[in-house]
Amino acid sequence: MFQYEKILQYPINIKNPNPMYAKIIMSQYGGPDGELGASLRYLSQRFAMPCCELQGLLTDIGTEELGHLEMIGTLVYQLTRNLSCEEIKKNGFDAYFVDHTTGVYPASAAGVPFTAAYLQSKGDVITDLHEDMAAEQKARTTYDNILRLVDDPDVRDVIKFLRAREVVHYQRFGEGLRLATDKLNEKNFYAFNPAIDKSCIK
Amino acid sequence: MINTKANLKHRIMAIRFAIWDLHLYLDTHMGDCTAIELTEKYKKQLYQLMDEYICQYGPLSAEDDNAEKWLCTPFPWVNSGSDC
Repeated sequence: MFQYEKILQYPINIKNPNPMYAKIIMSQYGGPDGELGASLRYLSQRFAMPCCELQGLLTDIGTEELGHLEMIGTLVYQLTRNLSCEEIKKNGFDAYFVDHTTGVYPASAAGVPFTAAYLQSKGDVITDLHEDMAAEQKARTTYDNILRLVDDPDVRDVIKFLRAREVVHYQRFGEGLRLATDKLNEKNFYAFNPAIDKSCIK
Repeated sequence: MINTKANLKHRIMAIRFAIWDLHLYLDTHMGDCTAIELTEKYKKQLYQLMDEYICQYGPLSAEDDNAEKWLCTPFPWVNSGSDC
């Protein structure tokens, strides 16, 4: 089960609303490399993981990603407070506004709604962990791109924190991959799928 | 201290983060003594600060003591300084 805690992983207090920043950062809520896709990916893939370390790792990182989803929602919420119609039009937020007002909706910066096609759950530990490492790098690049576009130090501080977490998760997934291959036949890691061929695990 | 509540909350956030990051590290380094000892040290500090915070300002989770105040403290997406 999951329990809610009324606290963010990292503090967010945005002083200056900015709908253009909200539109860009929204991509990490429901975009192709966003936190919603990340949490669903790991929390779905974990069922096929063959050992307790990997079940734990995917559960924990998947849970942390839900916390990051809340942080991105918080950024979007605080960046879109008290907007005038003039500000909405001037900053290109009108296309989002007409469909969602200032509600937080999972979509990419270009307005494409979230889809489960952004993630895979292949039921094979090696395949899934490679996807996870790539996903962390794609999210890291997205945060780097956001940092190129955003000047506000209050926003940048939070984005830098989230970017650093992608790097840490990448490292942990890499270690997880090594733990997995250490338990398999070193002559051919791909000869079996440990989720089905249970006897292949050392 | 200018704002005791915000300061206490920031200390809780910092220690919780340290404990969480050590927890992830231990997922792939099971039994690492240094990480386990550090976790225990930080947990002791955290419990003390959490008790202080919950007692004075209300619960952080629905199962905490002082739960009757659950709705009286702002949700975390609301900017600080705007308690209901």
